[in-house]
Amino acid sequence: MNDHTLNDIAAHQPAATEGTLKMAARNVNVFYGAKQAIRDVSIDVTQENVTAFIGPSGCGKSTFLRTLNRMNDTVASARVEGQITLDGEDIYSPSMDVVQLRARVGMVFQKPNPFPKSIYENVAYGPRIHGLAAAKADMDQIVEKSLKRAGLWEEVKDRLTDSGTALSGGQQQRLCIARAIAVDPEVILMDEPCSALDPIATAKIEELIHELRGRYAIVIVTHNMQQAARVSQRTAFFHLGTLVEYGDTSEIFTNPRETRTKDYITGRYG
Amino acid sequence: MNSPIPVPATPRTPTDWNSPAMQNRIRRRYAAERRFKALGLVSILVSAAFLAFLLITMVGNGARGFTQTEIRLPVDFARSTLMLDPAALKGFGADAALAGADIEGVTAAAADAAFGDGGARLLSDGAWLSVREAIKERPEVLQGKADIWVPAATSVDLAAKGDGDAAGEAAYARLKAANAVQTGINLTFLTKADSTDPTLVGIWGALKGSLVTMFVTLILAFPIGVLSALYLEEYAPRNRWTDLIEVSINNLAAVPSIIFGLLGLAVFLNFMHLPRSAPLVGGLTLALMTMPVIVIAGRNAIKSVPPSIRDAALGIGASRVQVVFHHVLPLALPGILTGTIIGMARALGETAPLLMIGMRAFLASPPGGITDPATVLPVQIFLWSDEVSRGFVEKTSAAIIVLLVFLLAMNGLAIYLRNRFERRW
Ligand SMILES: Nc1ncnc2c1ncn2[C@@H]1O[C@H](COP(=O)(O)OP(=O)(O)OP(=O)(O)O)[C@@H](O)[C@H]1O
Ligand SMILES: [Mg+2]
Repeated sequence: MNDHTLNDIAAHQPAATEGTLKMAARNVNVFYGAKQAIRDVSIDVTQENVTAFIGPSGCGKSTFLRTLNRMNDTVASARVEGQITLDGEDIYSPSMDVVQLRARVGMVFQKPNPFPKSIYENVAYGPRIHGLAAAKADMDQIVEKSLKRAGLWEEVKDRLTDSGTALSGGQQQRLCIARAIAVDPEVILMDEPCSALDPIATAKIEELIHELRGRYAIVIVTHNMQQAARVSQRTAFFHLGTLVEYGDTSEIFTNPRETRTKDYITGRYG
Repeated sequence: MNSPIPVPATPRTPTDWNSPAMQNRIRRRYAAERRFKALGLVSILVSAAFLAFLLITMVGNGARGFTQTEIRLPVDFARSTLMLDPAALKGFGADAALAGADIEGVTAAAADAAFGDGGARLLSDGAWLSVREAIKERPEVLQGKADIWVPAATSVDLAAKGDGDAAGEAAYARLKAANAVQTGINLTFLTKADSTDPTLVGIWGALKGSLVTMFVTLILAFPIGVLSALYLEEYAPRNRWTDLIEVSINNLAAVPSIIFGLLGLAVFLNFMHLPRSAPLVGGLTLALMTMPVIVIAGRNAIKSVPPSIRDAALGIGASRVQVVFHHVLPLALPGILTGTIIGMARALGETAPLLMIGMRAFLASPPGGITDPATVLPVQIFLWSDEVSRGFVEKTSAAIIVLLVFLLAMNGLAIYLRNRFERRW
């Protein structure tokens, strides 16, 4: 990996704007049983900027990402301390409905995981369970709009009844993104969405993230430094469960404050 | 990243793929593969041979159970001692009028007249029932003579099928010469219930008993089993209690069925005072036995649904119940159904627990509902195989064929359902 290309890429990014606060985490600790996976992390996610989480494997990026829509609730041993807010509302307070929260904070997973149903059904499922479409025509419109936004419409418009699992890996991942945006979330969390994809499919997804930026607050976990530099405006570097450095992507990649950050992004360890 | 790739200090000696030791290893590997293939082939052949033996003997013996020899009996009603008014045989009074008449005597007399002394012994004990049916259907026969086909006695029947004794053969030859005998499909066997006379028995009573009992079993065991499996897999926390439940269910599935019979006897009959011999109690008892099988099969099927599907649904805001009923259950259904049908097939073949709760009574009519006394196919087979009369041998085999066809149909259904609902990804 070459520092210059990274710097170049980061320098060509649209600059991070101040942004309006969407989600805020304060002093978050996450435990798996007795083992602490996240230590005292505080972070702000803004509406206008794409936020990238980077860090060596096992440092807790996925764990932290999953606290943002309470997917950790499904892990019996997981325990979350601290405060996380969405539009100022504590998402771990008892009055928060976790189903609604996950509709507002959507998630795209590392491995494409379409339902073994038709392409149409994959996208329509979310709107259907949340009652977002009154009539079949509305639903058709939501499906078309979501697939267009996910850049998949042209490829699948003639075979909406085919199984979602019959698509290629990259198409499947874009289908999962379409499925996530079909419920019109406010935040989209992506956990290494391109790790199973080839460079062309990856480029498509990155393009997509550019297009979705601003409409949704986006958080993306990635192991690919260039990708972080290409798609994000803010970058958070995690190490051993702590947040080492968080700042504008151009800053982090050109002029990191911490030596650990510098070592990691230049590939000296991790 | 910038340091050069280290080069090993000592050059490695190349592997000699042609050395004798290597050749030897290759030979042994091939021999092992051949041995394994041969063993597999032999075991398949052995099991196929057993299956073929079973089927061939069953069909060979049992096919005759589905046919019955009949004798044409000329009856001269006009001259008989039968005092019956044809007018009384129309409408509701018919059965009462027939009950008072000595049809048995008339039948025996007609047989003696037609086939000489002892002719009545050529007919089945129930031959008069056919005569009665004929009168009931066409009261006008009472005014004159009529030929009525009546079931032959066991000895004649066996002789007609080439398995009779000397007396039977002689009688059969005589009837054959008179062109008064024929062997055809035995409708009685397929439509009637048990009887003391092998020429009059039917399997329908036991078949219906089995159907009704299986229905009760399915209605109870399937929902309870599937819901338990879903709860244990999707909701229950992992702790000592769920471990204990898991172990108990696994043990329950291994408990010998006679124990379940005793349990049914103690709980359903002695404690809850449900009717004896009833499909309700049989179904309850078999449901106890089948439920653990469904729970275990269901849990395995649910476990094999990839967790990524659950994450996907939860991630767009599906509730736990929606995840379970929209995604997990449909994907697990083929496995659950296969397990259910295997459990049901086992229950269908159970005899011991049903003997314990009294489903071995002699019943001359099929059950009308789940609380009527009934018997089931395997118990019927058990009862008939115990009979001394030779006529029951082929009936037993025929009943076994009916049971096997029932089982095959269930397994066929299992395969169909699995293919129908299976989704690949
Ligand atoms: N379900 C779990 N139970 C127990 N420990 C877990 C669980 N999930 C993750 N961990 C642990 O928590 C730590 C952080 O894991 P996490 O998956 O968040 O890492 P990550 O940064 O996403 O790594 P990667 O880049 O490899 O995906 C690791 O030490 C991991 O072993
Ligand atoms: Mg991860």
